[in-house]
Amino acid sequence: MLGLAPSDLSSVTVSEDRRKLVTRLTVLWYLVIVMFVALAMAFWYFQVVQYEKFREVAENNHQRTLGLRAPRGVMFDRHGKILVENRDSFVISVVREHSRDMDRTIRLLAQVVGLDEASVREVVRRHRGQPGYQPIPIVEDATLAQVAAVTAHRLDTELPEVVVERVPTRRYPTDAMAAHLFGYVGEVTEGQLTREGYRSGDVVGQAGFEKVYNKLLMGVDGARRVVVNSLGREIRTIDEVPPSEGRRVQLTIDYDVQRATEEGFKGFGYAGAAVVLDPRTGELLSYVSLPAYDPNTFAAGIDRATWSALNTDALKPLQDRAIQGRYSPGSTFKMAVAAAALEEGIITPDFTVHCTGSADFYGRLFHCWKLGGHGTMDLRHAIEQSCDVYFYTIGKMVGVDKINKWATALGLGVKSGIDLPNEVTGLVPSTEWKRTKLHENWYPGETISVAIGQGQVSVTPVSMAVYMAALANGGRRVTPHLVKAVDEGNGWKSVATPESAGTAPFKPETMAAIHDGLWMVVNAAGTGGSARMVGYDVSGKTGTAQVISLEGAKALKGRTDLDLRDNGWFVFFAPRDNPEIAGVVFTEHGEHGTNASLISRHILETYFAKKEGRPLPTFKPPPPPAPKPAVVVPTTGAGQ
Amino acid sequence: MFERRLFFHIDYLMIIALGALCAVGVMMIYSTTSIGPNSTLYVKQLYAIAIGVVVFVVCLVIDYRTLAENSLMFYLAVVVLLAGVLLFGTTGGGARRWIPLPFFALQPSEFAKLCVALTLAKFFDESRRGSPSMTDLAVGGVITLVPFLLIAKEPDLGTAITVLTILLGISFLAGMRLRLLGILLILAIVAAPVAWRYALKDYQKSRISTFIDPEIDPRGAGYQQIQARISVGSGGPWGKGFTKGTQGQLRFLPVAWNDFVFSVYGEEQGFVGVVVALGLYLFVIVRALETARLAKDRLGAYLVMGILSAFTFQVMYNITMSAGLAPVKGLTLPLMSSGGSSIVATLAGFGLILNVRMRRFTN
Repeated sequence: MLGLAPSDLSSVTVSEDRRKLVTRLTVLWYLVIVMFVALAMAFWYFQVVQYEKFREVAENNHQRTLGLRAPRGVMFDRHGKILVENRDSFVISVVREHSRDMDRTIRLLAQVVGLDEASVREVVRRHRGQPGYQPIPIVEDATLAQVAAVTAHRLDTELPEVVVERVPTRRYPTDAMAAHLFGYVGEVTEGQLTREGYRSGDVVGQAGFEKVYNKLLMGVDGARRVVVNSLGREIRTIDEVPPSEGRRVQLTIDYDVQRATEEGFKGFGYAGAAVVLDPRTGELLSYVSLPAYDPNTFAAGIDRATWSALNTDALKPLQDRAIQGRYSPGSTFKMAVAAAALEEGIITPDFTVHCTGSADFYGRLFHCWKLGGHGTMDLRHAIEQSCDVYFYTIGKMVGVDKINKWATALGLGVKSGIDLPNEVTGLVPSTEWKRTKLHENWYPGETISVAIGQGQVSVTPVSMAVYMAALANGGRRVTPHLVKAVDEGNGWKSVATPESAGTAPFKPETMAAIHDGLWMVVNAAGTGGSARMVGYDVSGKTGTAQVISLEGAKALKGRTDLDLRDNGWFVFFAPRDNPEIAGVVFTEHGEHGTNASLISRHILETYFAKKEGRPLPTFKPPPPPAPKPAVVVPTTGAGQ
Repeated sequence: MFERRLFFHIDYLMIIALGALCAVGVMMIYSTTSIGPNSTLYVKQLYAIAIGVVVFVVCLVIDYRTLAENSLMFYLAVVVLLAGVLLFGTTGGGARRWIPLPFFALQPSEFAKLCVALTLAKFFDESRRGSPSMTDLAVGGVITLVPFLLIAKEPDLGTAITVLTILLGISFLAGMRLRLLGILLILAIVAAPVAWRYALKDYQKSRISTFIDPEIDPRGAGYQQIQARISVGSGGPWGKGFTKGTQGQLRFLPVAWNDFVFSVYGEEQGFVGVVVALGLYLFVIVRALETARLAKDRLGAYLVMGILSAFTFQVMYNITMSAGLAPVKGLTLPLMSSGGSSIVATLAGFGLILNVRMRRFTN
């Protein structure tokens, strides 16, 4: 039937012409066969040999995998109040694979969302390493106007490669409350990618609690595979793996105490830090470092201008003063000196010193803060009155190494072990320290400054909180921590209290004497009367530390008067017997401890009011005092 | 006119093959348009096939020699229609190709192919025996060139070139010297760069206008070529299944029911389906070649050859393009692509081929 061989020629007369025609038809016959075989082979090559490759390409063509970002775990305070949660935000991203001309896409998108073309280009460049099907986020937390503009252009099929996704984004308290405690989240950096096994585009904790407990809070992202048409419009969902939310975490923080602490600082307009904890367990009740930043700006992808402003701000809002600031403790250090003298058996609490306002040590005159002198003081009154001469005297008797030993036992000069990142250690000097670090011998005269918390001594606010908790506990040191309970998906599970960092064998008489002194500071004729609360036996100690002595005269240049004002301290615990709250308030350039003690009292009032179900107090800062005459303190003497 | 015994010489196998190809075409049109605004296009195609069958019967019944006697009349009529297209035609896809009529739009270029085949067959039949002289070829060339230029002006370069293949096929069969064929081939190769440069200019022009206003050509010709190959390749050996193709269904392939119907067919029916369809086309072509050999006279052989040249060229080019192996040109796949004029004209052509075969024993 298909044959055209010359042999089956029909009955028609075979002429020359006829033969020629048949020959040519035969040629065409072969030609057609060859061409069809060639075509079939081409189809064989594409459909059988290269099938896998094309199947994949076709799938990528019409399927898109959309990441479904898991909401991070919600943070609650110790009473179940929500501290940090999530909100929905819109992210505008580009899928490079679906763009046929990235240049045009970038230009058009920048124009549509009202961004600088160069910055869009830069974002795309930064993500050049990731696969083409992964969306590159261009605008995080887009405004509704931007979303509407992009959607309109997508409908016009102008920007099919641009996708708008709804993603959960962190919502922090609006007033930057506890910013340094919470920290912030941000897109994973290249370094973290290689080190910690995250995936490109993950949002991870970059500071504070978010960073330390990132694994707990992060959750597992889900994914949705959808069919899209050639215009990038979604037709239907193929399958979906829902994201699983990060673990819910209950913090030890008390929202109201935290708020009260910040109110106190803001009432005065002070920078500084405060750490308040439960001395029995180390659970942090309040944790403040000011000035702070708004973590919300990080959650939505911080822009370069805001970031560099934060970095160059002279007040260093990015520094967590509570664990990264080192400051002279001033008179708040005196309890450590007293403890050393008593424990070493060098003095008894009844040991007296006569203060005339100054005293000579090693041929140099050291002043007491009180010009006329305190008269004859025993240990309890020396703490109450913060008599410098008394502590110069016993400090000299004890020696710097013994002071170092007992201050360290109380938690100073060592890390507290708090579960926040990048804690630094303070410094309690010793002869060995000076030899190994500075290759110099210790001058006995230096001990005199150390005895009143000046000179080389420096502490972090968090270590001062540990120190006060240890004093409140009779020597048992606690580890400050932030997690009270975690919900692993099946109800709240309490988290074990971190182990105590050790208990120094303090004699009960030592602690009794110090407690008496601290009680008298607040409740007798002491320097901390502002913190007095009738019936609560608040015990505490003020401190004033000269900035100038610490920072050195060189720093004078270019500094304003404000920068030279003294730092103020107030450390406290309450009640005196069976203390349940302890802490430290450090006011940068707060001039003296009185204002710090006012903030402390507001914290304590709030704490006890809440505990006893009374209405919470509001903070009323005292009217600014009349300008006082400048008091020139000639030497290192300081402290009240 | 129609003798009863002719009834027994009708090529029923050919009719079955043609019917099968038409059926596959309707199925693919249904599949590619099932989503979207053109979902009743397959019904239109069925109407066109019905009309085509009527025209087919007419072309079968009237003796082809009678038709050839009147070839000049057909030729002039179609030239007038082609001129009419340029004057009053409707535009679609950037070209003026259709004459609007009350119920449908007529595409005269489809029928021009038949008229040119008929006219050339008659002309070469009457010219001298042996091989055609240069004069013969020149006259044949003029006969072809008029509709060629009119169609090229629409512009519809694909169909215009198809008309040229008719001249090539008939003159080859009429015994055109192979040396002359060689010269023509060399000429074509030499002329190609010139034409290419000309085409490239057009292409660049369109690129620029596309760039300014993407609505003209939102996704470019290169894109279509890539997508066509992806469609075919992703079909694999067995295909994705009827209406299960993603490339055509989701509009990654433009006008999948028309120029790229075979790509979607390859996607949905796989290599197996492709082999079946290629087999059907091959059968139809080879059967027609046999008809040319069996033809009672040279007129019949030339007529079959003319119609077959256009058909084969279009089938080969469209299928090659469907696999992304040829530049995208608006050439339909005869019998499968949607398009009323195309299906009617193609069926009419096969009516003539069967006419020749049926009358191979008559005097």
